Order: sequence, then structure tokens, then C-alpha cells
Amino acid sequence: MTGTRRGLRFPYRLERRSDVGRWAQLAWLIVAIVAALIASGLLLLTAGADVVEAFGALFGGGFGGWRELLETLVRATPLILTGLAAALAFRAKVWNIGGEGQLFAGAMAGYWAFTLFAGLPPVALFLVVIAAAAAGGAAVGWLAALLKTRFGVDEIISTVMMNYIVMFFLSLMLSGVGPWREQGSYYQQSAMLPESAQFLVLLPRSRLHVGFLLAVLAAMAIHILLTRTPLGYEIRAIGFNPTAARFKGTNVPKVMAVTLAISGALAGLAGAGELFGLQHRLVMDLSNGLGYTGIIVAMLANLHPLGVVLAAILFGGLTNGAFRLQVATGVPSAFTFAIQAIVLLFVISASILSSFRVRTVSDVD
Amino acid sequence: MWTEILQGAILASIFASMIRLATPLLLAAMGEMIAERSGVLNLGVEGMMLMGAFSGFMVAYFTGSIWLGVLGAMLTGGLMGLIMAFMAITLKVEQIVTGMALNLLGSGVSLFWHRLLFNKTEEVNVATIQIFQPLRIPGLSDIPYLGEVFFSHRWLTYLAFALVPMIWFFLYRTKYGLEIRCVGENPRAIDVRGVNVARLQYLATIFGGLMAGVAGSFLTLAASPRFVPEISAGRGWLAIVIVIAGNWMPWRIMFAALLFAFLDAFQLHVQGVGVLIPYQILLAIPYVFAILAMMGSRARSEAPRHLGVPYLRE
Repeated sequence: MTGTRRGLRFPYRLERRSDVGRWAQLAWLIVAIVAALIASGLLLLTAGADVVEAFGALFGGGFGGWRELLETLVRATPLILTGLAAALAFRAKVWNIGGEGQLFAGAMAGYWAFTLFAGLPPVALFLVVIAAAAAGGAAVGWLAALLKTRFGVDEIISTVMMNYIVMFFLSLMLSGVGPWREQGSYYQQSAMLPESAQFLVLLPRSRLHVGFLLAVLAAMAIHILLTRTPLGYEIRAIGFNPTAARFKGTNVPKVMAVTLAISGALAGLAGAGELFGLQHRLVMDLSNGLGYTGIIVAMLANLHPLGVVLAAILFGGLTNGAFRLQVATGVPSAFTFAIQAIVLLFVISASILSSFRVRTVSDVD
Repeated sequence: MWTEILQGAILASIFASMIRLATPLLLAAMGEMIAERSGVLNLGVEGMMLMGAFSGFMVAYFTGSIWLGVLGAMLTGGLMGLIMAFMAITLKVEQIVTGMALNLLGSGVSLFWHRLLFNKTEEVNVATIQIFQPLRIPGLSDIPYLGEVFFSHRWLTYLAFALVPMIWFFLYRTKYGLEIRCVGENPRAIDVRGVNVARLQYLATIFGGLMAGVAGSFLTLAASPRFVPEISAGRGWLAIVIVIAGNWMPWRIMFAALLFAFLDAFQLHVQGVGVLIPYQILLAIPYVFAILAMMGSRARSEAPRHLGVPYLRE
């Protein structure tokens, strides 16, 4: 990795640094986001939109006022949880791509618990459904760990395949022959949840529900887990060097299973929030890729749990702003999906570039 | 159920569908195999296939030429392969993350442009194109049953199967093939001999992208005349599974692709004869089988040792 070539005296040298400063990282992150915005601006030009007006609508719609901000937090709620799910697993270098499926598994488990315990008082029902949703997501995550440690199935493959399988299962449950289909409905959806089962709304005249608090608490819990507990140490250790961790006596398969189970549980909670807090009925497009966006959120946050909250709010704002973008300029709101992927590409490139430094070399030879 | 399915005509139709449905899987898997043999784990196949399907359709729709559509799909796939190569080989970013980013890019960009171009004009349901027609091989396609199964396909299908021996020959009987296999196995050895490691990996990864793009174009230019968001429906991921199940060897990959395609063809026909199994269960079969195939395929003797590991020259 040197900038010098034979016969060419170049007084700078590019070298990898062992420690990357926080500020250098942050600076590169900002560079990456600006670059991503420029690339996204080019995409807006293909839509024939006024780029300044479009970005104005995008950010105004996301962060322009109190009401917009509240709605942004609503959109950020599931992303915090799926972002945490990805961040935790990726810390252990366990590639859980199954956030989407685990989210749906959580929503379905929560819905199932609701059908069994609908008569409970609201607070008890709330606790039962979130426990069920966490368990549902955790079960799917744990299955991926089992497949990996017992049968050698790569977790990337199994989690992706389970995303599809879970969706087919939901489609079956909501189909004409399925038990959850709303009576006589033309659409593939469940009946509306009664008010007693819906999550508490935190502020009047907003859609911000108690799931947001749950998500922020989860972020703090995961932060503490990773930094202050033996399990967190082991999770980071197997991500850093699984062989060394094994020699130090870490039960790698067990840590992997616990990591995937917690990761799945977080995604499952996101599913419960969307179902009981926002949509109030089980539908096929309950998520619209929240599990995948969680991966981007986690990478943007550099896999830091508290950073995930900020990144999720940024992306929640983008999602929210995209609706105003569509209304104001006619640019399809699907623009957010494109912009998110572009941000990811630039951010992962920047994270590599930030680990280099240019050094002045006075005498090379 | 079985009496309905075990009829000559239906069986011939199932096997003909199998060969047809194997086309995109085989094309993408062959490309992925070459990329992986060079040591680059490209998990972006799904996104490349989707963009191939989308750009192929768009080019064909606006130029009126399906041949240009295939070319457009190839170039788009190749461009995404170039991005993958740049991130993986030059920047040495974690390859798994890069692949995921490309999947999300394909998904987002194709959805965005699709909405942009078709929702405005309310054409979303009617935008169709004239697709490739089956190329019946004269004489051979008239053989009962066999003609339908083997000799009445689109040219892309013939191409996919013709590529299997060609790629085998390239990989095992040419200098470049040897070099690519070496790079994935021991890049230092090949570097020491003065061969440019990065160049080989770039070419292999771009080739993988091209093939994924062509595979995608089969979906919108030969299999169905329209583009719908997420039309690739996990086939790119299945291609990755097929490479592993085929132990990174061309002929085995062909059989693995045929096996997955058979499951798909079978479930289509079971639906067709009106058997009372919910279609969701039938549709899930290939994905369940993919996990089972991974459980069964412990033979990974040909897995490139440096797969997914960036080569650092130090």
C-alpha cells in the first residue's frame, strides 16, 4: 500500500492506519452522505425534477416541523429495531440477512397470541403480544443458527430463503382458505384489531406509539449488552476472531445461537410495532423492506447501537419526506429505496477510505 | 394427483418447462461460479438479475428491439459487476456487505424507474413487449415428446446449455481458466508468477455481472412480456445456492440448476392440473429445498480457498 513507485519520487505515502479517530470517521461519513446526495440528485434529474425543490420537499417533509418530526419518529421506530437486529449480528460477523422474515414472524406470532388472549386487560395483552413477537422472531433467527452449527448451512443463504418462506406462509394464513383472512374481504388482510389490542399512542393527534419507547430502550439495552456484559464481550470476540475466541473457551455455536435469537427477537418486535402500533391489521405489505433497510441503518451507524437510533431517525425522515416529494414534485416515493442503497454504497466505501492516511515522506529510500 | 401428472404429454410438458426455467438459473450460476473461482464472493446476483430484467425490458420497450434489450441487460449487469469488483478488489470492502448493497440498489432503482415511467401514464398493466419466440430446430423438434422437451426453446436457453461445455473447456483447458482457478485458491502464487491478480478478478467479476444481467433479461424478454417489481423473486439467490450445491464445477452446476428448475416446473403443473394444495406451499418448495440442499451438500472440495478474502499484497 504505498503511493511511491520505482523511479518516481512522490513525497506522499498512502498507508493504512491501525487506529481510526472518531473525528476522521465522522468526517468521512459526512463526505459519503454528501456524495450519496449528489448521486441521488442525478437520479432525480432522470425524473425531470427540480433537484433543489425535490430535496427541499424531501427534508421539509421529514424534518420541517413538529408534526413532520413526530411522523418521522413513527417511521424510525421499526428501523431502530431492525437496525439493531442487523448491528448486533454483524458485530459477531454473523450475517443475518433475515430481518425481513423475522419481522413478519414476529408480527405473526404476536397476532397469533392476540387471537388466543384477546380477552386479557390491555396492559397484560400488550406484554403477551410483545413477548410472543420477540419469541417468533427469535425462533426464526435461532433456526438459522441451528442450521449453521449443526448442518453447515451458511446463515446468509438460510436467512434469505426464510424471508421468502415466511412470506409464503403469511400469504397462506391470509388466503381464502387461511384462518386469519378477514371475513368476506376482497383483500388479503386480517380483520382490524380492536382498540384494546392496539399499542398506546404517546401523543394526542400523532401516530407515535409506545413501540418507539420500546425501540429506544432496546437500543440502550443492546449497547449495555455489548459493552458491559460477558456475553457482549463474547459476541464481539467471535466477530473479531472466532478461532481465538474458541481457544479462549468461548462456546462459539452457543454464542452464535444466542446472537441470532436476540437479533431475530429485535426484528420480531419491529413487526409487533408495525402491526399493533401502526397498521392495526396483518397485511402482506406490513413491512415493505424494513428488514433490509435495517441493514443499511446498521452499516450507517457503524454497527453502534446508539448510532442506530440516529441513523434510523435519518432514514425515517427520508421515508416520510418521500411522500411529500411525491405529492410536491411527482417523483415516485420509491426514490427512498434508491437513495438508501446509494447511501450504503458510499458509506461502506468511506469507512474503508477513512482507514487510510496520507503521510508526507521526506526520504523514501 | 399422480394419475393426472403421469401422462406422457404432461410429463413432456413438465420436462420442457424444467429446461426453460433452468435458463436464468444456469446463466447466473455459471457467471457466479467464474466470479467465485477468482475469489470474489458476489452476493449481488439477485440485484444484478433484477436490473438486467428491468433494463432489458426498458430498452426493448423504448427501442422496439429485443436484441438491444439483451445487450442493455448485459451492459447493466456488467456495470454492476464493475461496481462489485471496484468495491471488493480495489477498496477491499467486506464483500458480503457490498453484495447486499447491490441487491438493494437493484431493487430500489428498478422500482423507482418503473414507477416513474409507468405509473404516470397508467400503463402499468398494459406495458408489454413482443418477446422472443421459441426456436424450433427443424426436424428434431418434430420428434414426439423429445422434440418438445429439448428442441423447442428460445435461443437464450440453447445458449445457456451450450455455455456449460464452453465454460468447462475455458476453466480446465485454457491458460486463463487455470489462472482464474489459481487466483481463488492461492492468489500469492499467481502474483509471484507476474500475473495481475486484480485484473483477473475484475474480469471474472464483470463476467459474472454480465451473465446475471442476461439471466435477468430472459425473465422479461423470453419468459414473460412484462416487468413487475421484484420479478427476479430470489432466483439470484438460488443461483448462489446452485453454485455451492454444484461444488463450483460446471457440469454439476448444470444438474443442480435442472433440479431446482424441475421443482419449479413440477409445482407449476401441479397447480395447473388443479390439485388442492394451496399454491403458497407449492411456491415455497424451491426455497425450502435450497436449505435442504445446503444441508446435504457437504462436498465442498472445489470451494475456492480464498473466496471472499481480499488479496493484500505485502
